[in-house]
Amino acid sequence: MHVSVDRAKCDNHGQCTFSAPTVFRLDDKGVLEYDENPDDSLRADVDEAADVCPMQAILVTD
Amino acid sequence: MSTEIAVPYLDISEPSFAMHSEAVRNAREQHWFATTNYGFAVLRHEYVSILLKDTRLSQGSGKWPDHNGVHSGLFHDWWTKCLLVLEGDDHHRIRRMLNPAFSFRHIEAYVPRFEKLAAEIVDAIIDNGEFEFVNDFAEPYATRVLCILTGIPESEWPTIARISSSIGLALGITIKEDLPEVESALAELYGYAEALIADRQASPRDDLVTRLVEANRDGDSLSDDELRNALCLLIFGGMDTTRNQLGLGIQTMMRNPDQWELLAKNPELARNAVEEVMRSNPTTTWVTREAVVDFDYEDLHAPAGSTVHFFTQVSGNDPTAYPNPGIDITVERAPHYGFGGGMHHCLGHFVARMDMAIAFRTLSQRMTNIRVNGQDEWMPDSGNTGPVRLPLAFDKR
Repeated sequence: MHVSVDRAKCDNHGQCTFSAPTVFRLDDKGVLEYDENPDDSLRADVDEAADVCPMQAILVTD
Repeated sequence: MSTEIAVPYLDISEPSFAMHSEAVRNAREQHWFATTNYGFAVLRHEYVSILLKDTRLSQGSGKWPDHNGVHSGLFHDWWTKCLLVLEGDDHHRIRRMLNPAFSFRHIEAYVPRFEKLAAEIVDAIIDNGEFEFVNDFAEPYATRVLCILTGIPESEWPTIARISSSIGLALGITIKEDLPEVESALAELYGYAEALIADRQASPRDDLVTRLVEANRDGDSLSDDELRNALCLLIFGGMDTTRNQLGLGIQTMMRNPDQWELLAKNPELARNAVEEVMRSNPTTTWVTREAVVDFDYEDLHAPAGSTVHFFTQVSGNDPTAYPNPGIDITVERAPHYGFGGGMHHCLGHFVARMDMAIAFRTLSQRMTNIRVNGQDEWMPDSGNTGPVRLPLAFDKR
């Protein structure tokens, strides 16, 4: 699985960190950091993160 | 010679205080924050964007009942356990289980029903040439949207609207004297919520309440009390805000008739029109936070416990972030904070965005030359604002 976040859209609200906390996190300045190639076992959580993002900035591909 | 920057002061309890005033614009130009008689106020978009999400600031309204002498009872217990005021792991756990039911794809499925509702309400008034926007459109529309979402029969919308307004009294400074009305309304709402939960537990459907009932993450799920609290917050939090924002939206559009005509000809711009309205004329004119610890940012020093307001109306019209801050529904703008931000970002924002886009699209296609037609009345320009009464006349398109 591949994850990409459109930085022009992302506004660092951090809702994705609730769905998939091992893939998405906010650094100490509140800026999103994420794992671009998480393990496929996390697919449901990552899909959920993309689904609930208020800015719809997360794209998940195979 | 001192190099210290003069920090402006704003008297926000003055009855004539207005967000869109020269005094506030001057303060924003002078400095990125102001001091006020109720804590600090962040004024510029750049700083609102960063600090609204800072975890050293908590959602400030959890202590509201206690600050006003209400230390126990139904309202106190509900409010202090609401998602709105929870923090840390307690908040994240519940938010995570609620979020998917409010995701774009689930809410988009309700669009045809919202369209049918908007058309039905407009059909009933279109031949009159005039209507009272709040009573005849915004309140029934906003309340019936919530009925559609939760599965409460739409015919019961006047009861739901009354309950929601009564609970809203708890957010006013007369909370103590209004408490009997607040608690009786909340008990009534509990009844609706508990019946819905029991029904969907027994017979699941393809709907929002069923998705909440069945929400399960890592073996954890929401208790019946947590489900009830969430449904009550959804109904309470979704009604007034949407009703008020619709009124502010029509106000903005009446001031910009060229944009209204543009929307009528290009219905696909409706979602952008909602963003423009919420940026420039939000119902939630400020969002409040409380410093959990001593909070320092550049030259702002807020001791633990102090209040920090984010003036979203002021930041939404900040010429640094929006070089041409006039209404233009055709352009992509920097994000606004009319839905708050960070971990407390409005849960129901996709519902609000979609139902308001449908409302403005439908109204613009059926009505033109909308103008005030009698005495209008507005809530104060602080906290959550909007029209109380807005009589309008229009030409049928």
